[in-house]
This record gives sequence, structure tokens and C-alpha cells, in this order.
Amino acid sequence: MAARIPPAAEPRRPHPFEILAALCAGSLLTLMLLSNGMMAAHTTPIFASLTAHGVGTMVAVVLLLLFRLRKPAQSRVSVGRAPLWAYLGGISGALTVVVSTVVVNSSLALTGTMALGLAGQVLLALLFDATGALGLERRLPRRNDLLALAAIVGGTLLIIFARGGAA
Amino acid sequence: MIWMILLGLCSGMLVALSRQLNGRLALSTSAMQSSFWNHLVGFAVLVPCALIAGSFWPAEAASAHWFAWVGGAIGVVFVASGSWLIPRLGAALTGGLLVAGQMLSSVALDLLRGVEAVLWMQLAGVALILVGVYLSRRG
Repeated sequence: MAARIPPAAEPRRPHPFEILAALCAGSLLTLMLLSNGMMAAHTTPIFASLTAHGVGTMVAVVLLLLFRLRKPAQSRVSVGRAPLWAYLGGISGALTVVVSTVVVNSSLALTGTMALGLAGQVLLALLFDATGALGLERRLPRRNDLLALAAIVGGTLLIIFARGGAA
Repeated sequence: MIWMILLGLCSGMLVALSRQLNGRLALSTSAMQSSFWNHLVGFAVLVPCALIAGSFWPAEAASAHWFAWVGGAIGVVFVASGSWLIPRLGAALTGGLLVAGQMLSSVALDLLRGVEAVLWMQLAGVALILVGVYLSRRG
């Protein structure tokens, strides 16, 4: 690690609290998918996503009013107002449901859908980091970031195929 | 088949795209506000989709288990967490650690609920993921 990188561009090590927060948020995703999957099985995938977004909007309003969670995110660079396109994350979020429903019902099934989804997510995230796309900071991953990602992706694939193998 | 594979990759790319956009919005507003806009805009997009698909209010909706209704509330905290993490850790590490938490908890859930799976593969997967999480902390 003798590379001379200007300090501002050097990604710092994640704080243990940040790692813990990410792991807890990932567990929330498991519960969310369980809940949404239950609604989708009981009704339709579109309705499940619609209710999830509707309920989510109301809960977000309540949380914003209760806790006044309006502190801007931490940034090393000063940013002004958000460009209009930054408000459109919800479109790709909603599209995800539609697209993955189509893929799950193909011969790729749940196992293939999850594996490909993981690959797509990691590849685009690496590209975003490398280019600093869409107004976020450009950061070249450290060697250990890549090793960590490789181990997590490998472990995830093992777990995904462990389920497919028993089916 | 090749189109389905590309579509499968797309579904993951949409997740990364959504997180990047929400993260940028959070820089100018806040993590919770970005989660609010994510859900409101998503809802607005899904209303016409549900109307076209004829599932705006399916008859079975009223009889759904209470737990089927709380996914959105959990999702609000999840999206806000992503928006909080992405400026701090970058897109790749944020995505990787979220997936790590998701997989560790889903294996625990599988074991609790007695879901059929190849046990040694699950345990090896958990071990690999823990190594990955440890490596992410190393400089």
C-alpha cells in the first residue's frame, strides 16, 4: 500500500459503527422481503410493491415530523440544491419489482434471479465508485475493499445455491 | 434466455442506480428525506401500473396477515440507511455490506424456520461473508 494518493481521494477505513449499521440494515431487508413476499403471494407482486411504497411514504412523513430528521448527509464537498433527477430514485426502485418479477417467473427462477441481481448490483456500484457518477464522490476501491467484496459475493452465491440445491 | 439473463442483471443495476440517486439527494437534504421521496415517487409510478394490471385493490388485500403490511415501514428505514451509508463507504462497499447483513440474517431465518437447504454450503457461505466483513475493516 505504498501508492501515493492525495489524502482527499483516499478512501478511509469504515468505522465499526458504519459496518454494524450496514449489517443491521441488511437484516431489515430480509424482513422487508419476507413481508412484501407474503403480500405478493396473498395478492399480486404489483399490489405488494404499491402498498409497500404507500405505507412507506406515510411512515416517512411521520418519522420526519417526529424526529425532524433533516440534517444533511455528511460530505467533504459542499453541495447545493439537489438536481431534479436526484428525486427519481423511486422510479428505478419501483421498476426493480416489475423486472425481477418477470425474471423470477422465467426458467432462471429465484436462484438465478438473486445471483444475477447481485452481480448487476456489484458491477454497477464499482463503476459508479470508479467514475464518481451522479454527483457522489469518486473513489478507487482499496485492495481490501475488492477482497472483501469478492468474499461477500462468493459467500452469497454459496448460500443462494445452497437453497437451490435442496429444492 | 440471453434476454432474461440481461434482465436479471438489470434488476440488480436498478438497485444500485436507485441507491446512488437517493444518496445524492441525501447530500442536499437528509437520509430520511431521500427515503420519503423514494417511496412517494415509487408510489406515483406504481399507481398506473397497478391500475393497468387490474390489481389496485385485490379482493384478498383485506384478509392479508398484519405482517404483510409492515414491509413498507421497514423499507423506509432500509432506504434511509443506504442513503446515509453511501457517501461514507462508497457504492460498492455499501452494497456489499448490506448484502452481507441480508444473507447472514436470511440464513438465520432459514435455520429457524427449517427451510430445506444444503447445510454445509450455507455455513461455508456464512464463513466467507464474515471473512469479507472483517476484510472491509482492515486498512
